[in-house]
Amino acid sequence: MKTWALIVDTWREALARYTLLGFLAVSSLFLLILTFALNLDIVDGALAAGTLFGKAFDLPGKGPAIDTVVVTGQSVFAGMLYVLGVFLAVFATGSQVPNLQHRGTVDLYVTRPIGRTHLLLGRFLGAATLVTANLLFLCGGVFVVISLKTHVWNARFLAASGLILTVFLSYLGFMYLIGVLTSSTPLSIMLPYALYLLSLPLAAHDRVAAAMDSRLAASTIHTLYWVFPKTAEIGRDLTTYVLGKATPAFVPLATTVMFGAACLAVAVVAFNRKNF
Amino acid sequence: MDIPPTVIAVRRLTKEFRHWGRRLLALDRVDLEVHRGEVFGLLGANGAGKTTLVKILLGLARPTAGDVLVRGSSPRRPGTRRRIGYLPEGHRFPGYLTGDASLRLFGRLAGVPEKALDARIPELLELVGLGERRRDRVGRYSKGMTQRLGLACALLDEPDLLFLDEPTDGVDPVGRRHIRDILLQTREHGTTIFINSHLLSEVERTCDRVAILHEGRLVRQGTVQDLTAPSRRFRLRLADGQSMLPERLAEDGWRVVTNNGHLEIEVADLEALNRLVDRLRADRRLIAEISPVRTALEDVFIEVVEGEEHSPGSLENGSRTGVHGPGGDR
Ligand SMILES: Nc1ncnc2c1ncn2[C@@H]1O[C@H](COP(=O)(O)OP(=O)(O)OP(=O)(O)O)[C@@H](O)[C@H]1O
Ligand SMILES: [Mg+2]
Repeated sequence: MKTWALIVDTWREALARYTLLGFLAVSSLFLLILTFALNLDIVDGALAAGTLFGKAFDLPGKGPAIDTVVVTGQSVFAGMLYVLGVFLAVFATGSQVPNLQHRGTVDLYVTRPIGRTHLLLGRFLGAATLVTANLLFLCGGVFVVISLKTHVWNARFLAASGLILTVFLSYLGFMYLIGVLTSSTPLSIMLPYALYLLSLPLAAHDRVAAAMDSRLAASTIHTLYWVFPKTAEIGRDLTTYVLGKATPAFVPLATTVMFGAACLAVAVVAFNRKNF
Repeated sequence: MDIPPTVIAVRRLTKEFRHWGRRLLALDRVDLEVHRGEVFGLLGANGAGKTTLVKILLGLARPTAGDVLVRGSSPRRPGTRRRIGYLPEGHRFPGYLTGDASLRLFGRLAGVPEKALDARIPELLELVGLGERRRDRVGRYSKGMTQRLGLACALLDEPDLLFLDEPTDGVDPVGRRHIRDILLQTREHGTTIFINSHLLSEVERTCDRVAILHEGRLVRQGTVQDLTAPSRRFRLRLADGQSMLPERLAEDGWRVVTNNGHLEIEVADLEALNRLVDRLRADRRLIAEISPVRTALEDVFIEVVEGEEHSPGSLENGSRTGVHGPGGDR
């Protein structure tokens, strides 16, 4: 019941602060543009002609198999959603912990007969359900629009939203840590973005480290690579997976999840030790 | 008379805040006990450490040193906080909730069953006078309304221990009386109540026992009766038309002040008081009234706080004389 109350509370907050609405609005906009922009003529299971953003493309002779076109398109969209989804989700959940820790508010929550771990994890669960629903709307919507228009149903695209969610949850762990330590919404939003950007070039850590002068710098780069989320690799895996070429590698995913879990664990410990 | 069980036991409690190397001693070796069914008032000037003490009693903050037991166990344990009500100082309910929804949320977090909440929430909102505004968002409440909601929230769990930090802050006089009535009613059910306040007249009317905190130290504690009991000061009124010049009494060595038509006399003990009566009767003066002067709590408070700067406080109460009379000159 307490957990349920916390989840409901998270949703209420998101609703009242228009974060949920904002997320849905941006997602819907994206879907609408997609619906009207994408127009394909299909003849005998092959792409005969189509328009994308009003630009017609004719394909002389027998075009490529529709499946290939759709799947390629989907993999591009998956890549876009990977960025957009995480971006929106971070934005939607950034104020959660700072709001909870607000002076005068935290007193009300923390003095209830509920453990602080339970409290924080309950809110985390709330945020997770919120973002899951949002991502399902966004990715599911894209999936349905593309599939209806092309009659190609590629379930891998849906599974890809699971990957996006996993990466986001790791970032959410990081956001909780920032939130607990600083009680600052701007930092809780900015630092995950910074981490996101920073982790991209780290995929090339081997080459970056090789270019370093000192050994210390080189090993720092390697360490950062292993500690931080493997944003770039997972993004790459995501697109190839949607294409049906490969299954995502385990190690980048596992270390990314570990990063999030470790951040969340530290956040819980810090929250428990805090004086309010 | 046997003493009811101890609900709050604080021993040598010290709390030091450290911030960028600067230290601030908010509580300094505080010893305190509150018994079941008592209404206890903690008094102190701004920054004396009242809120800090309550926060430690609720597990919000951790002591630097010393022991704190609430109902025999540590307030940091969630189970200890069952059936404890708390009205925090300057609390802020999430603005997006309605009055109704706030109580439901915090009731659920307290583990109150849904059925009980259905019945209790409207009842409590009615009790604190928010019945008509229950579906409004808390963000649109006035200060006093928020405070009332806070009180309702504190009472949600049918607490047997209630902490109130400045309960009437921002509440109008009618509301204050109303809150006082609610507290007295709550107390009838055996709830122990711990009030932080600097509204002394209010504490005086509500509390059984008070303690005065000064710069983190507990400098005085006792029943309101004890603290305000006087004194060796008596008020003396002669029958109408009779007078006794204070100067004449002063010549005889009495310490006298006139106070709108009365004489206020300070005597060493009852023996001295009776000698004074003899003296007046020898002069054939007709005495209409003799009563001990009770100090208002406010005077005690100011005296203690000001006196603290000069001498270290003692925990003893003011001495009591054997004469009782219709006290109170406030
Ligand atoms: N979190 C904190 N960090 C640093 N210092 C603090 C903190 N909380 C309280 N203090 C300091 O501890 C002292 C006691 O504060 P406290 O809030 O307990 O006072 P109070 O008796 O409740 O005062 P008031 O009547 O104004 O509410 C003050 O000097 C205050 O500045
Ligand atoms: Mg205070």
